Amino acid sequence: MSQLKVGMISFAHEHAFSYLDALLSIPEVTIVGIADPVPARVAEATGKHNIAYYNDYHVLLEQPMDAVVICSENALHAEITIAAASKGIHVLCEKPLGISIDEMNQMVEACERNKVQLMTAFPCRYLAAVVQAKQTVDRGEIGEIVAIKGTNRGTAPSGWFVDRSLSGGGALLDHTVHVMDLMRWFTGSEPAQVYAYASTLFNDQLKVDDAGMIHVKFENGTFGVVDTSWSRKPPFPTWGDVTMEIIGTKGVLSVDSLAQVNEVYSQQDGLGQWNYWGDNMDLHLIRSFVEAIRSGTPVPITGLDGLRSAAVALAGYQSIQEGQPVKLNA
Amino acid sequence: MKVAVLGCGGMGAIHASVYASLANAQLTAVCDANSQLADAMAAQTGAIPYYSFSDMLNNAEFDAISIALPTYLHKEYTLQAAKARKHIICEKPIALTLEDAQEMMAICEENGVRLFVGHVVRFFPDYNHLKQTLDSGKLGRPGVAHASRIGGHPGSWFADESLSGGVIVDLMIHDLDFLRSCFGEVESLYALSAAKEGLDYALVTLRFENGAIANVEANWGYPGPFHTKAEIAGSAGIIRANSLKSSSLQLVKQGTNSDTTGTVVIPGSPGYRSPYELQLEHFIRCIEDGSEALVTAEDAYKALELALYARESAVTGKAVYLKGGNAQ
Repeated sequence: MSQLKVGMISFAHEHAFSYLDALLSIPEVTIVGIADPVPARVAEATGKHNIAYYNDYHVLLEQPMDAVVICSENALHAEITIAAASKGIHVLCEKPLGISIDEMNQMVEACERNKVQLMTAFPCRYLAAVVQAKQTVDRGEIGEIVAIKGTNRGTAPSGWFVDRSLSGGGALLDHTVHVMDLMRWFTGSEPAQVYAYASTLFNDQLKVDDAGMIHVKFENGTFGVVDTSWSRKPPFPTWGDVTMEIIGTKGVLSVDSLAQVNEVYSQQDGLGQWNYWGDNMDLHLIRSFVEAIRSGTPVPITGLDGLRSAAVALAGYQSIQEGQPVKLNA
Repeated sequence: MKVAVLGCGGMGAIHASVYASLANAQLTAVCDANSQLADAMAAQTGAIPYYSFSDMLNNAEFDAISIALPTYLHKEYTLQAAKARKHIICEKPIALTLEDAQEMMAICEENGVRLFVGHVVRFFPDYNHLKQTLDSGKLGRPGVAHASRIGGHPGSWFADESLSGGVIVDLMIHDLDFLRSCFGEVESLYALSAAKEGLDYALVTLRFENGAIANVEANWGYPGPFHTKAEIAGSAGIIRANSLKSSSLQLVKQGTNSDTTGTVVIPGSPGYRSPYELQLEHFIRCIEDGSEALVTAEDAYKALELALYARESAVTGKAVYLKGGNAQ
């Protein structure tokens, strides 16, 4: 395969802009078009890069192409993924993969049936510190993993993110999945039991939870916790974090993946800020998707990976209803 | 006020040296069954050494006593000292069971003596500042908090959970007490823990009646310097403390390593007055003027209660609801 023809469906999730930049930087990629029901959202990008615009993603999917990148509202991931798969088009889907187990199973099945690959966009696997941490763990340098204390704190989003019918949930769904994926990857084990707390504590106006603490016991006996809260807002000097304290039988590995910042104090900004200078994880995520599709090798993060991490968040909500830990069916 | 110290190990040595320098205290006696420890402490402080508690009770002159013995001995010696009408400053945790703690509090009350428990984190300037900032309202409504207490495994009797209570009861209890002082009573909690060779690790999440959520981490088995971290994120602001980052003095020498396994590390950033000094001075002043202490025996009881519920949750795998019920 020479050029990889890639379409992009929906820029509802702003990660699409970063993924577009990454795609544009890869010589082997041709962008066949961008579909978005909201023209204003993508007008600048399509105009600047001379990319065909489609109002309706179904029309975009009629064009000859190899793969699509989907950054729609969470609730539309399944519909769009299944439509793309039925056209024989490989899919990179933004996280969380879906908002119910049933629809995520359907996404995975549709892709298998149509012999296309489904990759879940978990860019945190491409953070340089995370990559090295995984190698460190795999070399046995901290012995066996006993526990992981993680955080994926962030700043509250707005719009469809805080509309449960489109997002499927609040901070607990939005921010469980990244670190949960890393925990599954690092431990090599599946979540067996989940217990969570979630509430709306930082912004009373929100109709979804913005504070969360989710606990997982893995099949191999390790356990973890993730703070999923949208607890960051100005004047906190950065948008959020992705951290893991990995407790092993022979040592502790601390991953503060976005710690590569310089502290900036400028009268122009008014507040001190932490400006990130580390590597671009989105670029490496997109490159690895493009390489896998071009070479016909399995994508490194599958639809099943996306499903299993999202399932933990969904089980977290269930545990809140029941008031006790719930078991997961692997 | 004349004071004595029972137990001349790590904490006892701190109590004795603080008393020796406090203006409102006079250290008259130190006691340890290990005569070398007692003699060394006596030589350092000018107090009279005793090798048995009954000998010290019969012969030494003191109004208050610090009990700096291993946890499993707290009750026995608190009861003896209370019956001898001595005010008591007991190291934390107050006891290993709520029944023992209750009995200690009751006997002290019956004998008209005060009982204080050394939840010294209340006197650490960084934690004091955290609470003051929260109380000032500038963080808004408290939302999600974290507290970590991380160090090497102290080994010895600490390694036996039946004697020390393990990492939750002995170490995490500091943060359980501190967070309760910040947010009030706990509604429910959930705990995860693991004990392996040389490692005792726990994660406990508390849900407070005021809605705040706190995840508390305690690690005995960290092969690096002892340190503590805390964060409170509220609706209007965030405060964060990290003892490694705020450590204002660092000495690195050739030929040493930072592995603290087998030692109980006493934390502290340089300051003109140590938290232990502030704590003991405060307790002595409370005895003198009858005022309520910043941290009471009741607080110590409540902290132990949280720690024991956390251990229960870790064992059963269930969330624990402190006032019954099953809804969040």
